[in-house]
Amino acid sequence: MTVDLIFNTLSQFFSGFGIDGPLLLIAMLLPCALLFGFITIYALVVIYTELKVSSFIQDKVGPMGQGVGLHAGKWGLLQPIADALKLLSKEDIIPSSANSPLFILAPFMIFVGAFISFVALPFSSSIIISDLNIGIFYILGVGSIAVISLILAGWASNNKWSLYGGMRSAAQIVSYEIPAGISLVVVVMLAGTLNMQEIIHYQKGGISNWILFDNPFVPIAFVIYFISALAETNRTPFDLPESESELVAGFVTEYSGMRYAFFFLSEYANMFVVSAVAATGFLGGWQSPFDGYLDSPFWGVFWMMSKTAFLIFIMIWIRWTVPRLRVDQLMNVCWKVFLPIGLFNIFGVAIWTIMRG
Amino acid sequence: MIKYFKDIWETIATILGGMGITFIHLIRARNDNVTLQYPEERWPRPERNIGFDHNNYNVIRTRLHVDMDDCIGCLKCERACPVDCIKIETEKAPARGEDIKDINHVGITTNGTRKAMVVTRFDIDMSECCYCNLCTYPCPEECIFMTGGPNAKKHPIDYEFSEPDRSDLIYMFAKPGTKDGLEALTSKEEVKA
Repeated sequence: MTVDLIFNTLSQFFSGFGIDGPLLLIAMLLPCALLFGFITIYALVVIYTELKVSSFIQDKVGPMGQGVGLHAGKWGLLQPIADALKLLSKEDIIPSSANSPLFILAPFMIFVGAFISFVALPFSSSIIISDLNIGIFYILGVGSIAVISLILAGWASNNKWSLYGGMRSAAQIVSYEIPAGISLVVVVMLAGTLNMQEIIHYQKGGISNWILFDNPFVPIAFVIYFISALAETNRTPFDLPESESELVAGFVTEYSGMRYAFFFLSEYANMFVVSAVAATGFLGGWQSPFDGYLDSPFWGVFWMMSKTAFLIFIMIWIRWTVPRLRVDQLMNVCWKVFLPIGLFNIFGVAIWTIMRG
Repeated sequence: MIKYFKDIWETIATILGGMGITFIHLIRARNDNVTLQYPEERWPRPERNIGFDHNNYNVIRTRLHVDMDDCIGCLKCERACPVDCIKIETEKAPARGEDIKDINHVGITTNGTRKAMVVTRFDIDMSECCYCNLCTYPCPEECIFMTGGPNAKKHPIDYEFSEPDRSDLIYMFAKPGTKDGLEALTSKEEVKA
């Protein structure tokens, strides 16, 4: 959609030059560059928020810069930039016994997995890179690429902690994709489409038309999706793959510098993706919560961002409240609680929809 | 089956309870925070009271300070020091009780004593000082004292004196250039004579 738009504009501008091939490449790379810039800036903001929220919850002040000299700026606002510069300038270490091609490949693959999910995310009624007719299915699908790269990272490091972390993450992500998918089936059933924009159009008309408030079964589906998404992004309380008390740092043990930064960046990018999917599926996406007010495309971006930001804030809040689960507890919650309740939800929503007519 | 739902309910209730507690801490962060922004904020100054109702004994042993305008160079503090951390050198003044403008020498102390000596060196090594306060009692002019406490009007309290190098902890109280200035002065007078 956006690629076609840019390509048409460019080819009109350069008509007669006969360079359609390079123009198509530019039209494809331009949204990617914009998206990468967006992810980077968003990650800096979320890192700062995470530092501050965690400190406030623990009665600390977080990063602060005061007085003269070299420091982290007012209220520590420069701290994430300093962190990024530190990661950029660190030595890049590849262990001699590691499988270096796979070791190098893993951080790129995990970032690509997170990055291509952004393609189908609707930021506004007109801002979407590609309006796929199977958008929600596509996002669930490419979300699984993370599993491969995490196992790759764990295996290529040639380190028992890393391998344990990779295996744990594989078990965790594969398991939790099922309840997440089953909860999104509820959304798809109600909206009758897999297209992200059409799911949002279905929720037109204020807060009461959001799928979350459609019937009493959907809030349960929302909670299951949100917790499963938390597990898929490997965040506390589900950060078993990198639990530092048991596995040093799990699959990122051997990574340093920019390669580590890519794992970090993709975790935050994944957080955005799952929050945006939750906002799209349950909270009305870019629709205004007030019917007919503040409904222009610009406000659409605002609503989408604020709903996503709210869910990301809840993720951070949960991280600094709940302790880490044990492996058996993790599997127990997935297979014995989420899966039966999720299936029951589908049944309940179906019955409810039929009864309502 | 009842236990299953009870467990789920308990999980949800306890997690929400915990999140409530953390949220209260989050919004009250400004009041609850325990961090001290050190160079800008400091802990309250210590008040020392060893039980005597007497100011001289309740002195906070912080850092020695010497008021050089009052020092007559009697060396009593140097002799009193149990760890020999005070080093004093004196020269005979050209004229007793007269100011020497060139080296900022003040001839008469605040107690009215006319100085016979010029102090050319007065070093206190605070890294060796044992804070026993014994040097302050013999001083006839009360010009060596611990900062702060009852002496706060002479010199504000100062107990944080970390330095990058150990030699920086040797405090030189003699006015800079006193020795050279005095030598130049006396040699000039000899030439005149």
